[in-house]
Amino acid sequence: MMRLLLSLAALLVSATEVSAQGVEIALTEDRVAVDTGFAGARLTLFGAVTGLENPSSVDIISVIRGPGARFTVRQMKKSSLIWTPGPTHTIENAPGLYITQANRPVDDIAPLPAQAEYRLDAEYLDVDIIHRENPPAAEAGLFRSAFLSEAEALGLYRSRVGGISFKKGSLFTINARLPANTPVGEYDVAVYLFRNGLLIGSDSATLRVNRVGLERRIYDFAHQRPVSYGFFCVALSLIAGWLASLAFRK
Amino acid sequence: MQLYLPIAEMPVDPFVVITMGAAVGFLSGMFGVGGGFLMTPLLIFYGIPPAVAVGTEASQIVASSVSGVMAHLKRKTVDFQMGAFLVAGGAGGSVLGVFIFRALRASGQVETLISVSYVVFLGVIGGLMLWESVRALLRTPEDKKRRSRKRRSPAWMASLPFAMRFRASGLYISPIPPMVLGFFVGMLAAIMGVGGGFVMVPAMLYILNMPTNVVVGTSLFQIIFVTAITTVLHAAANQTVDIVLALLLVSGGVIGAQLGVRAGVRLKAEHLRALLALLVLGVCARLLIGLALPPGSEFIVETAR
Repeated sequence: MMRLLLSLAALLVSATEVSAQGVEIALTEDRVAVDTGFAGARLTLFGAVTGLENPSSVDIISVIRGPGARFTVRQMKKSSLIWTPGPTHTIENAPGLYITQANRPVDDIAPLPAQAEYRLDAEYLDVDIIHRENPPAAEAGLFRSAFLSEAEALGLYRSRVGGISFKKGSLFTINARLPANTPVGEYDVAVYLFRNGLLIGSDSATLRVNRVGLERRIYDFAHQRPVSYGFFCVALSLIAGWLASLAFRK
Repeated sequence: MQLYLPIAEMPVDPFVVITMGAAVGFLSGMFGVGGGFLMTPLLIFYGIPPAVAVGTEASQIVASSVSGVMAHLKRKTVDFQMGAFLVAGGAGGSVLGVFIFRALRASGQVETLISVSYVVFLGVIGGLMLWESVRALLRTPEDKKRRSRKRRSPAWMASLPFAMRFRASGLYISPIPPMVLGFFVGMLAAIMGVGGGFVMVPAMLYILNMPTNVVVGTSLFQIIFVTAITTVLHAAANQTVDIVLALLLVSGGVIGAQLGVRAGVRLKAEHLRALLALLVLGVCARLLIGLALPPGSEFIVETAR
């Protein structure tokens, strides 16, 4: 709560100092902990519109961009009797999470060139697709669009209208939700301010999603010392089995 | 309530997972089987990545086999000598199995490999069991007396090199057939996330001609070692052993198994075997349908590590 008040105070100070038109944002929490109880997280972002007579006449679009990730895309094919996945296509440099939010449909806020320039929709992301076997030219765009729609189905890529509310004066808040499968790493949270289809300001903040506690220890143990971890798992299983046989001894 | 699994990297409801462990434990206690062949598909249906389901099952089977083998140790119904040769073969099979698993995981075909292996083995074993138990149910009591089987060491196994006496089993055979059997079952264990008792027990009875009283104890003994080796190999090569998931399954499983044993004594052996055969064929059919029907989504997108 203290942090929230401080960030609000900082925003108000900057809002009064800066006379240029623009936007300032701050996250109430700039760290998200992935622990054993993690089932997604709520993010609250505070912002202030600066240098405008009528701040509620603006449009706001926020973009949460997760750390760069690699994805694989495989197309299911019927081979004689059964369905099997085809060759693996790798997607490089795609954000691990991409959530855009706006106070009204993005198409009503920003013209297409601006949407493309500021990547206001996952559709405009530059993703590199590495094909193990080059698909025919007609299917070149197939894997890109398949990736985008499946990433949406996984809850990693989303665009929604809402979650943005104007508060008193020039202040606004954005409520966002990170899904449970959100990747760990450094996130970039950007807010774009539009008026009459023109960008009048933007600001960004960083967010870290970290594994913590027991969940982190187990993950690190399993990935940094995999052989010891294997023996550890066997030892725990032996003990668990032995305890079970003691508990139910007749 | 949600619990985030550190290796599967997904949240699960711990009560659902414990209940799954208890349900499979109940069936395995009732039928006297390990239950890996039920648990691994169930975990995959629940949404656990197949590679994690297989790796984690290996460590869960270690736990359930330890609690099972205790009773056999007390009754001295474990042939350690035979077990040692089965384990020696099993270790080799497990290494090859994990190697195949890793190679297919890299090429994206591991789910198909798991499903197809399940369909083939469950189909064959379930079919044989059903056939056998239906015949047993139709047999008259006089038939049963006549059919009591004379057990002796198979001659061709004694003629292979290094033939030796297996006292606890009352056999004089070469250790090569048990090692080959162990190798084969070890490979299955590594690929399918099972203990392999459903292959091992019939093979010990009908191929090696071991006496019925030492078969289950010796099978459990070898399963502990082979699944322990498989656990370490999966952890080392694939990082797919989720200890949190395994312990949840174990805690449900031990309670379920106790209840299952109690329920099992009320049923006749022939009925139990017929029911188990139907269960095995049911899982087989479910997996076959999954392979044969068009998938819900034409594309599979996964995060690459």
